[in-house]
Amino acid sequence: VSPSLAERELIVVTGKGGVGKTTVTAALGHALRARGRRVLLFETDPRESLHRLLGTRPSGGDVVEAADGLWHLSLDPRDEMEAMVRSRIRVPLLAGAVAASPVFRHFMEAAPGLKELATLGHALRLVRGQTGPGVDTVVLDAPATGHGVSMLAAPQLVTDVLGKGPAADLAAEIAAFVGDGARCGVVVVTLAEEMPVQETIELIAALDARIGRPPDLVVVNQVYPPRGPPKKGGREGGHLWTRRRAINEAEMAHLRRHWTGPTVELPLLPHDPGPELARGLAARLARS
Amino acid sequence: MTEHPLDAQLLVVVGAGGVGKTTLAAALGVVSAKDGARTLVMTFDPSRRLKDALRVGAEATSRPVAVPIRGGRLDASLLDARVTFDALVRRYAPDPPAARRILQNRFYHHLAGHLAGVLEYMAVERLFEVATEGRYDRVILDTPPTRQALDFLEAPDRIVGFLDSGALRIALKPWFTRDGALRRGMVRRRIAGLLDRLIGLELLQEMAEFFQAFAPLYDGFRHRSREVQELLRRPETRFLLVAGPGESRVPDTLFFARRLRQARHHLAGIVVNQVHGRRAGGQEGSDGRTEVGKRPDGAAALLPSCPPAVDGIEVLRWLRERDARGLTALRQLVTDGTPVADLPLLAEPPTGLAALDALGRSLRKRLDAIAAMRYDSPALRQGRRTGGPSRGGERRWSG
Repeated sequence: VSPSLAERELIVVTGKGGVGKTTVTAALGHALRARGRRVLLFETDPRESLHRLLGTRPSGGDVVEAADGLWHLSLDPRDEMEAMVRSRIRVPLLAGAVAASPVFRHFMEAAPGLKELATLGHALRLVRGQTGPGVDTVVLDAPATGHGVSMLAAPQLVTDVLGKGPAADLAAEIAAFVGDGARCGVVVVTLAEEMPVQETIELIAALDARIGRPPDLVVVNQVYPPRGPPKKGGREGGHLWTRRRAINEAEMAHLRRHWTGPTVELPLLPHDPGPELARGLAARLARS
Repeated sequence: MTEHPLDAQLLVVVGAGGVGKTTLAAALGVVSAKDGARTLVMTFDPSRRLKDALRVGAEATSRPVAVPIRGGRLDASLLDARVTFDALVRRYAPDPPAARRILQNRFYHHLAGHLAGVLEYMAVERLFEVATEGRYDRVILDTPPTRQALDFLEAPDRIVGFLDSGALRIALKPWFTRDGALRRGMVRRRIAGLLDRLIGLELLQEMAEFFQAFAPLYDGFRHRSREVQELLRRPETRFLLVAGPGESRVPDTLFFARRLRQARHHLAGIVVNQVHGRRAGGQEGSDGRTEVGKRPDGAAALLPSCPPAVDGIEVLRWLRERDARGLTALRQLVTDGTPVADLPLLAEPPTGLAALDALGRSLRKRLDAIAAMRYDSPALRQGRRTGGPSRGGERRWSG
């Protein structure tokens, strides 16, 4: 974790499904905390999984303290949108009626970028201390690859579509926040395997095209670790290890041909997803 | 009735992302075709390696492309949500100008690309088209990667629910006259005013236009969705659930299997893929030794920031133990008799048709072994041993 990444107010963690984004989010949280930052880990998937890596209870929409200065929060973007409506409509009864109406719900589902905008808007309010425990950094466990870019591009998209009005102003404000490389960082998680590396190369290009800058860090997760010193009669599993390791190396080389920026490799650790794994990876993130 | 997943007229391969669904779907396709059934594999976003293996390119997006295999017929098609959605609009729109109006609408542009479930809906849409044509004995459908692998099943209902939401049409329509001007009236003006404050009238107007333009399409969509749901529930349609290894994935796998049953789909089996097995990767080959010997330090140079605190072989041993634990847990918890087969993690990802064929046969063998335990009848064994066209081979879809 470079000093510059540690200073970001919002870090968006994205990557292909199944590469361990949530695990890396938790590890990043510990690593940033070790650097003295007060950190909140933010997930939007209704089927929560962060709490398992932190060893806490599920959030269910509340901020849960995982350690001193480390929190997590799971929030359904729909609830956040409802909050947005309530803050814009002063009459509570009317606001409730609007938020509850099928028209509104369908509109919010379909209208491009609004859910993402609501999530980022909440992250911004957390960073500003307008809500939550008052934190230095929010780490957002973002949706899988394509949706991750859409999320970051959403504020600009909404600004362009709406043009004017209070919602457009809000979108523009969030767009400025996300667009500021000194305040908002992007971490891409991948595996050293064919499809994830290919998607990562495409994702880096898409980030450049749509938000105008590369990721701050690429984390290559679950790398087969180097083989230890040979043991007596220890040929067990040698072939599989050699081939898997060779694939990891070839794909790393492939990635390096397209991406020369900051990269961290995290080894496969002999732990199931849980607090031990998150802390083990955090130690390696902190050392890099 | 069929007992073997490969004997299904329609085989739907489902599972979370990154577990090797697409590769398995392709492998089963190769085996099916070589065994004499005219087979189509429909897939999403395959890797370059797999596209190369099947020898299909971008042209497979618009129509099925023949895969050059010896002694059988295999076609492959790639699914692209936007291309399919556009085609659908053109087909259901009453006339070309109406189709153009929809396709050029800014709201449609966003909807087609962003609405959750569009890709999945388009998959079943294309599937239905193919299934009703009767050109294939077997269709193998790979499904889009979703974290919980559930979106695929719920998508048709969701998207039709959205497009069909009378509420949306009724709510939007009355505010605007035919030429798009805002209607008069206190209440309407007040609600419109609220929405204007939130999102701006301009976008609202465009949405109204979109839904007016889309109105003639609703009936077609609704009807098609019902047909697709029926197709997916037919006894000739089987689901194959592919899961990743390890104990931590067991709850998701069980959850999905339960959801399939609740939705009255026929789950033919669960495949736990990429298991680190005792003999995973095959024999301890000499090439392994030479390669390690050849570049003992090359690896360290490529991965400098990875501290050598963990021994690779130790990790491998742990992965084996983890995967064995996962399999045991899953087999204990699947109590309804659904066969649970495991496939080892391959040292080499399949890079050609021969490798896909071998993978497909290995999967078939494992499912056969489990099916034989469950349906141990001489007729079935005979059918399998001959290896000829499956019993479903002669049949086609009617309609």
